[in-house]
Amino acid sequence: MIELTIDNMTVQAHEGETVLQAALKHGIEIPHFCYHPCLSIAGNCRVCLVKVDGRPKLMPSCNLEATPGMRIETVSEEVLAARAAVMQFIILNHPGDCGICDKAGECRVQDYHVRYGEIDPVSIEPKHRKPKLYDLSPRISLDNERCILCSRCVRFTREVSGSHMLGIVERGCHSRVARLEGKVFDDPYSDNIISICPTGALLSRDFLYKSRVWYLEPVRSVCTGCARCCSVNVWRRRKRWHVRSLGAEKNAAAYRITPGENPEINGHWICNKGFDLHKAMGRPRALAPLIAGRSASVEEALQEGMKMLSEAVNPAALISAHASNEELEAFRIALGSRMRVYTREDHSPQPGEVLEDDLLIRADKNPNSRGVRELFGDRPYDATAGHDLVLVWGDLDDYAPLGKARILHLTSFVPPQGQSADLLIPISTVFERSGTFTNFEGKANRFDQVFDKPKLVQHAGELFGGLAA
Amino acid sequence: MSCLKEKFDRLTTNGPEGMSALVDKFSELRGGYPEEMASSLVLPLLQLTQEAKGHLTESDAVFIADYLGVPAMQVVEALSWYTMLYREPVGRHVIKVCRNISCSLTGGGRLMGYLERRLGVRQGGTTADGRFTLLAVECLASCGTAPAMQVNDTYHERLTEARIDQILKELP
Repeated sequence: MIELTIDNMTVQAHEGETVLQAALKHGIEIPHFCYHPCLSIAGNCRVCLVKVDGRPKLMPSCNLEATPGMRIETVSEEVLAARAAVMQFIILNHPGDCGICDKAGECRVQDYHVRYGEIDPVSIEPKHRKPKLYDLSPRISLDNERCILCSRCVRFTREVSGSHMLGIVERGCHSRVARLEGKVFDDPYSDNIISICPTGALLSRDFLYKSRVWYLEPVRSVCTGCARCCSVNVWRRRKRWHVRSLGAEKNAAAYRITPGENPEINGHWICNKGFDLHKAMGRPRALAPLIAGRSASVEEALQEGMKMLSEAVNPAALISAHASNEELEAFRIALGSRMRVYTREDHSPQPGEVLEDDLLIRADKNPNSRGVRELFGDRPYDATAGHDLVLVWGDLDDYAPLGKARILHLTSFVPPQGQSADLLIPISTVFERSGTFTNFEGKANRFDQVFDKPKLVQHAGELFGGLAA
Repeated sequence: MSCLKEKFDRLTTNGPEGMSALVDKFSELRGGYPEEMASSLVLPLLQLTQEAKGHLTESDAVFIADYLGVPAMQVVEALSWYTMLYREPVGRHVIKVCRNISCSLTGGGRLMGYLERRLGVRQGGTTADGRFTLLAVECLASCGTAPAMQVNDTYHERLTEARIDQILKELP
């Protein structure tokens, strides 16, 4: 451990830690654009300059190793003046179009300009024009005028995702972030560069102009895309910004998904499938109970379910790997001993999808296979066992492989076309309940409820007690 | 311009076949470099390719990247950083007129104007017959003998209008 003084406060740092890291760890804010804890140090933005006692010039704190007895000033007049000058230079060619920029409200350039700058740049030259709304990929829009060339995105593709697909081309004030003209930027982790961009240069085309970010708030959730169970933030509209004229749908929409920082599981990143989680949850829903294809009330459906279960001689259950650990436990207590339990993969890899890599993506495209396996083992459905009732929990494309058994289907989404279960009870999605999944490494990850469930939809965990009665 | 265009279309559309003749030269050069320093070859190979083809496109950069096993974006970055690597077709003779301090003080600007009128192109342009490309460049490190210009690989110093006429006349 090294002891140093930052703004008259004694702080401790590990060997090899930089002054910026030590300061951030102790709640001392030093502004920074190009520094990112998971990327190499570039030291190009110069906004983290600090005064080091005994050294004639200001030093960039991101690239300054802490040494014992070091005395640092981060808010002296000299530092503040340099910071303001750096900000002035950084926004020299910045269009200042915050009013029409999606990043406004969560933009470092905007925040630092207000906090440390507030001096307009002085230049007799007109601002440089560069390509705007450039389609970096079908998912990402690039505004080169807003870019401050911090190179976070470029370093991300070189150091994290390894695709090496971005670079900074041209020179001096003509420099700009670019991809190869003749190639699609199809990095499976590409959307992370939107999250780490400190300004409005890289924007999600899906989220483009959908909402101002200050109307939204993040809710911690877990991606159901694969067995990694990455933490994500689901952005919903703040309650006090629910406006009747927007309509119910927009007031209760998941506007975007961003990575939830979780050093145990996914660090700072998620894959593009995670960024699309709200689209997966936006598939057509099962919203009302159906008895043999005809809509029914919740009470009728529960009565019918109880009847089916009590009449069954040899019942089986097909357990969903999208169920939370709490729901699985509720099932085990209520019905686990009365039925033969089989497990299955609700979702298998889709054509074109990345099967598995050594960063985050896992071949098992279901979140809680490990939790299911720990409670119920690992037995695929046996059609020859002569079951007369199958409780199907989760998505299923086709009832045919289940044979002649009666089907009680608990699902969040519309069931297979042209087939109807003997009883269908709609259940809540991961956005509408809270709970935990156990990822493939055995680490539990908790998700919070983002939205209220639709009226006729049930929480699976609360159903089993009633069905067993 | 038309004959020029055909020439460059022929060179650039040749693509990999056009490049295959170059690969022998590439390999020869590569022999002199340590195995792990492939990226040090990026500039020499770009230069070799430019010598053979006149100018460089993204597909040339990608070809070199594939040959060296380095990311294509790295080669494109180098290609776009150096102004002496041409990304547009240039004429048979490239005239680079210095526009830095010493040359400006001794009439470099006037000589550029003279060349523009004489060749009938603006700086940065190529004459219609494809003979000349006229470029303004930064310091040619010939301040003691300013004003200076470089035609292809030859320096010409202490320039006057008469001297320029003579230089142009002597070019093939």
